[in-house]
Amino acid sequence: MEEESKARAERKVKRAAQLLFFRQHRIPGVKGWELKKAVGDDYIDVIEVLNSSLEKLGMEVKRLTEGKERSDRYIIVLKDNLTEKASGARIDEIAMLSATLAYIITKQGKVSRKSVEEFLCAKFPKHRVLFALDRYIKQGYLGEEDKVLFIGWRTRAEVDRKTLLDLILSA
Amino acid sequence: MRPEKLLRQINFCKTIQKESTNPFDLNVKKFIETLNQYLKTWKSRDELLLDADAISELTKIIELQAKWIQDRSSSFYIDPVLIELKLKLLEPEQLADAFFQSWHPVIALDRLTPKRLKQGLDYWNALLPFNERDDDFPAALTAEESAFEIQDLIDMSILSRAEFDKALKAILKELEALGRTEYHDFIYSTEFEESIRRAYLTSYLVSEAKAGLDIDPLEDTVFIYPSDARAGEVRSIAIGISHEDWLGWKRSQKREQNGK
Repeated sequence: MEEESKARAERKVKRAAQLLFFRQHRIPGVKGWELKKAVGDDYIDVIEVLNSSLEKLGMEVKRLTEGKERSDRYIIVLKDNLTEKASGARIDEIAMLSATLAYIITKQGKVSRKSVEEFLCAKFPKHRVLFALDRYIKQGYLGEEDKVLFIGWRTRAEVDRKTLLDLILSA
Repeated sequence: MRPEKLLRQINFCKTIQKESTNPFDLNVKKFIETLNQYLKTWKSRDELLLDADAISELTKIIELQAKWIQDRSSSFYIDPVLIELKLKLLEPEQLADAFFQSWHPVIALDRLTPKRLKQGLDYWNALLPFNERDDDFPAALTAEESAFEIQDLIDMSILSRAEFDKALKAILKELEALGRTEYHDFIYSTEFEESIRRAYLTSYLVSEAKAGLDIDPLEDTVFIYPSDARAGEVRSIAIGISHEDWLGWKRSQKREQNGK
């Protein structure tokens, strides 16, 4: 009986891991209701068990709050900082992203696209700035609505915003 | 009384929202006093609508003021001027370094399963050649891009599960009464909106295996029939519905009726 329940729990953790690791939608991760449907009502407990296994590998399941618990998105992220280069992006593109995010965060999370462009154009050519902003929007780091830029889902998932600001201030 | 003053204040509210400037730049007390002055003399519907618009904009500003205070009291708050200055002084390498140290990338993989390949093949088979379609290449819908899922509509209290089940039962009953019938004749009705609704419900009947489809790509015909089969293998089938197609169906129905 105990073995059967253990096997069932393992199956649930395995199923949750598959759902979280492999992309189902354009945005990675799965919503709370999807996990509930796939692994059952105790999906939060299942996530905790999975988290303890992932922790050993330096990863964790992150919960992105989107109002209701069932609508929250669960996503696997790297818990520790990267020690090796892990992005093909150019250094100036990363610098632009870093500056844009810091600029938007300090303006309560949204700011007109024009003011971001003007701010970045002080250091980079305009065509590069426009190209970079469009790319960040496409990648999900930024969102855009009515020519207003805001923090995108990917920044909320991947970037420790407080650390970013602290590092910029202390640099 | 001319409403210029009020219109100016409404515009100012909109600017604050758009430009993310300090919401405390608006004097709420003065705004309410102005509104009070106008309200005493206003009677027409347009005037009262303007009053409602002003109240709505004012509410948004008060909400922004609350958020502003919340933000300043949070650990995220750092003087924007200070950050701007720092950002201007830092070298690109330093900025990139700060980003990498606060970055925890998402780990996700794409996989292509035999089942998904089969769905792609079914989609391909059901798709008309490019030169036979009026519209552009229809993008394959994904959950993110598609219309609301039924669960989303239930979550948003637009539809209840009971209502949806009732509508499904009704359309299934209709199909059972008709038996095997041409798909478009079944879903199209006198109104285009109703046709879309019927197509949406029918898609659920097919995916729940309560209805089956016979597709003949050579004859370009699709027949639907009630089915008792249990839901088995999931298939992705794209059947185009367009306003032009629906108009053509309506014309042919009319011709048939006149012929009789």
